[in-house]
Amino acid sequence: MVGLVVVSHSRGLAVAAVQLAVEMVHDGRPPIEVAAGLDESTLGTDATAIASAIDRADAGDGVVVLMDLGSAVLSAELALEMVAAPERVVLCPAPLVEGLAAAVVSAASGAGRSEVAAEAAAALEAKATHLAPAASPSDVAPSEGGGQVASGVVAVSNPHGLHARPAARLVGEARRFDARVEIRNRSTGSGWVPAGSLSRVSTLGVLRGQEIEVRASGAQAREAVDGLVALARRGFDEAFVDGGQTARAPGLAVAGQTAAGASGLPDAPPDIARGQTAAGAPGLLVARADISEISERGRGRALAASAGVGIGPAWIPGAGSSAASLGDISEISGQDAGGEWPRVEAAVEATRLEISQVRASAAPGQADVFEAHLLLLEDADLLDDIRARIDRGVAAPRAVHDAADRVAREFEALADPYLKGRAADVRAVGEQVVRHLLGLERTHLDGDGVLVAADLTPADVVGLDRERVTGVLLAGGSPTAHAAILARGRQIPMVVGAGAAVLGVAPGTTIALDGGTGEFAIAPGDGALAEFRARETERAVRRRRADALAQDPAVTRNGATIAVGANVGSIEDARAAAAHGADLAGLVRTEFLFLDRDEAPTVDEQVATYRSIGAAIGRPIVLRTLDVGGDKPLRYAPGPPEQNPFLGVRGLRHSLAHPGLFRDQLEAIVRAARHTPVTVMFPMVTGVAELIAARRLLDEAGARDGLEVGIMVEVPAAALKIATFRPYVDFVSIGTNDLAQYTLAAERGNPAVPADALDPAVLRLIDRVCRDAGVPVTVCGELAADEAAVPVLTALGVAELSVTPAAVPLVKQAVRTAGDDSVAWALDLPDAAAVRRRLVSG
Amino acid sequence: MADTVDLTALDRWIREFARLIAEHKEMLTELDSAIGDADHGINMHRGMTAVVTTLESESPGRPSELFKRTGMTLVSTVGGASGPLYGTAFLRMSATVGDAEELDGNDLAKMLRAALEGVVQRGKAVPGDKTMLDAFGPAVEALEAAIADGEPLARALDAAVRAAEEGRAKTIPMVARKGRASYLGERSAGHQDPGATSVTFLVAAAATSLV
Repeated sequence: MVGLVVVSHSRGLAVAAVQLAVEMVHDGRPPIEVAAGLDESTLGTDATAIASAIDRADAGDGVVVLMDLGSAVLSAELALEMVAAPERVVLCPAPLVEGLAAAVVSAASGAGRSEVAAEAAAALEAKATHLAPAASPSDVAPSEGGGQVASGVVAVSNPHGLHARPAARLVGEARRFDARVEIRNRSTGSGWVPAGSLSRVSTLGVLRGQEIEVRASGAQAREAVDGLVALARRGFDEAFVDGGQTARAPGLAVAGQTAAGASGLPDAPPDIARGQTAAGAPGLLVARADISEISERGRGRALAASAGVGIGPAWIPGAGSSAASLGDISEISGQDAGGEWPRVEAAVEATRLEISQVRASAAPGQADVFEAHLLLLEDADLLDDIRARIDRGVAAPRAVHDAADRVAREFEALADPYLKGRAADVRAVGEQVVRHLLGLERTHLDGDGVLVAADLTPADVVGLDRERVTGVLLAGGSPTAHAAILARGRQIPMVVGAGAAVLGVAPGTTIALDGGTGEFAIAPGDGALAEFRARETERAVRRRRADALAQDPAVTRNGATIAVGANVGSIEDARAAAAHGADLAGLVRTEFLFLDRDEAPTVDEQVATYRSIGAAIGRPIVLRTLDVGGDKPLRYAPGPPEQNPFLGVRGLRHSLAHPGLFRDQLEAIVRAARHTPVTVMFPMVTGVAELIAARRLLDEAGARDGLEVGIMVEVPAAALKIATFRPYVDFVSIGTNDLAQYTLAAERGNPAVPADALDPAVLRLIDRVCRDAGVPVTVCGELAADEAAVPVLTALGVAELSVTPAAVPLVKQAVRTAGDDSVAWALDLPDAAAVRRRLVSG
Repeated sequence: MADTVDLTALDRWIREFARLIAEHKEMLTELDSAIGDADHGINMHRGMTAVVTTLESESPGRPSELFKRTGMTLVSTVGGASGPLYGTAFLRMSATVGDAEELDGNDLAKMLRAALEGVVQRGKAVPGDKTMLDAFGPAVEALEAAIADGEPLARALDAAVRAAEEGRAKTIPMVARKGRASYLGERSAGHQDPGATSVTFLVAAAATSLV
């Protein structure tokens, strides 16, 4: 249950307010703590007292804090810096007495903390409505200060309010303008949040019919407010059914609409089942199916999701499985709406129980996935949608399926790959509810050999019998989906995105797959089968051998020692790196300290973390300064809107644009360097002027002589001008992931445009850097972990490789096989595929 | 280098600030009664007295500890908005000085800049809102400029005090936009801001006790 904390200047006032509020609940009263007054009689607030009250009230579900005025608010904000789990605390702007009463009732009913806070904030509304007729929605407020400040109010008409997709549109629009734009939920009296932050906008919980208020300052303040008001009036370009008529808002077909726009409207016709394959692949899959092609010999290459070779007879989950059942739901007619909703509630409850059981059996670290599933079952947007469909006469199973599908599509339409991956979770939960509605037992996917399916839910993967399932081949899915993450954790080989054609395979057909490369073979001949078997054996043998030699240095056949480091993004990684024999932490991604929080880490926190990483690995560490950009803006360091963040203010450009943040980090690095062997490296450098500016700040931060400085070469321009950097660097590190993306104009996450860093164009840039840098060259992208590429890199003159911790032993082995053969031939080949062919054929 | 300050000097600074607050507590309360809730002098005096008591009971081992104890004590004893504001300022100073035993002019400027940023972040005020910021901001800027020009620390601190005093005077005609005083609106004009006044004592104490 969510806990409550009452902060007041007066202890008497707080105690009385609590007394009044708890009269409204009779049992199951939430934990309520009081932090009020300096003592019984002295008025005042005390941040340390508030912090301990919050910690006492937090039983795990978080805390909503209600405050009186002035220093109560400031002290509560300061207290957030002192509590154990600040992310679970909501400071609620509600008026104390009314808000507390509403919060107690809401928390006692088991609501989540944002809901409790929203209920509390809305409590003023009741009083306001009672005392005066609601003000009519005012139109755009008049401009103040000659267009420098502007504001406006508009009602949200979307059926589910400002949920994920419209919120994403709003954020995108807000960021287009040269203005500081904020919005708030006027109807609930919420606080202001930056309109450019999706997570913050989502916290407003704007429902249909509520009003949002927009205010802006800056050069384009007026335009920004007008733009957002117009967007809201267009229903955020969302197509929705309103009053029985489909309102297709103008502007829907604008660029940037992805899955949801392209593959069908949310209210797709009832025959979408036709578009589904035997195992019920969702419509989206069909569009993705072509990324892998299956040759006539039954070989194909799709996306590698979980390493390892799997060979066995195909088994395809039959009728009764969750996926297959969905094909039938359009044929079930609805009962009266009054009867359908309780059925849904019962099915949701049954699903909740089932997920809780699965969660209990999941390994530590895997339970989070199911926590997220449980939250989805409480999602108001989803539940309201189901209810609305039922009210329109749709049968419950269909309503659940369609509503889940709509929400999933919204996730798919988002740019953030992580959020995209959550679509699968929504569908998984939807299917579970449907299964309970149809009275189908939960099928344990039970069979021997290679499981072939459209997609799997995380629960499916957890339920697989590792002894019997040799591998998983999915028509759809994604390497970033939870199902794939869990498969990696359970070491079940998995290939995903293989296309709908694999679902046509007859059960029992032999399938071989390599989850490390994405290769698979259907009914392979003896030769191919032997190849996969040999690969499996060879991999196991090589792995054992590599592990045995992991702690030894990696020396090429001609005697050059190549340092093999690890890329590290957490203290955990640093420990893994030490265990796998990394010679250093060749790349410490410091972003992990900065993302997903409301304030920058303090210098002290940074120093402590950098030192902990150094201590965990026990080797030198290369700290890369903050590498973020407009695609993942920091809440406390927002930048101007950008059309294309990957070509915008990111990496060192971002740091130079936020000197306060940058100075802090440099100071932390300098201080860490007093105790820990540290070098510093700047990401996304384009020209030498940026580096000089950064070095000046580093000097100001008190850098001592001997602190080595390097740059990341990720921009082709930096590679081509590498000689100009010479006087200012002690080493350079080539980030082949970004260098390949920028050189080949191909985004790495987009399977339609492969960005293989072994492309001769990228190799030429690496060659140039190795020749002209005049200092040691490191490679720290995925190419460094590509065993086939290692001899090419060492031959070009790369002195150090840095790879994911688990890959260190095998990369060291690859170094040991490398000689000094020239690789000049590679630079003249047409593409990466040609280079790979030549490497394989020797 | 002669131009550094150590723990003893910094300890002197805190005690001198406490003394100035004690000496002027009626004046601060009077200023606050004109535009606020008449508690600034009492609150700050209660807080700084508690700070001195904790310093007496156990001497801090290094500057970061001195500032941390000062900040935490203010946070839990002042009671009013000055508690979290001054508390944050001292906690940020503590974080900024790190392990240092001695501070030079640069360190001091950096430390006070961090304190200022902490106050801005906590109070969300901007210059001209008639708050402590209107004296503290100019003081930090003057200190930074003087240090950057290579002035000796004593002169740099003098420049800071002058800037704080000027800033404090400028709060008189301002209309309050933050805190309890903002409820008065235009009526708050014509009175000197108590927060700007107490923070000027903080800067003045530095100038007389650090060098």
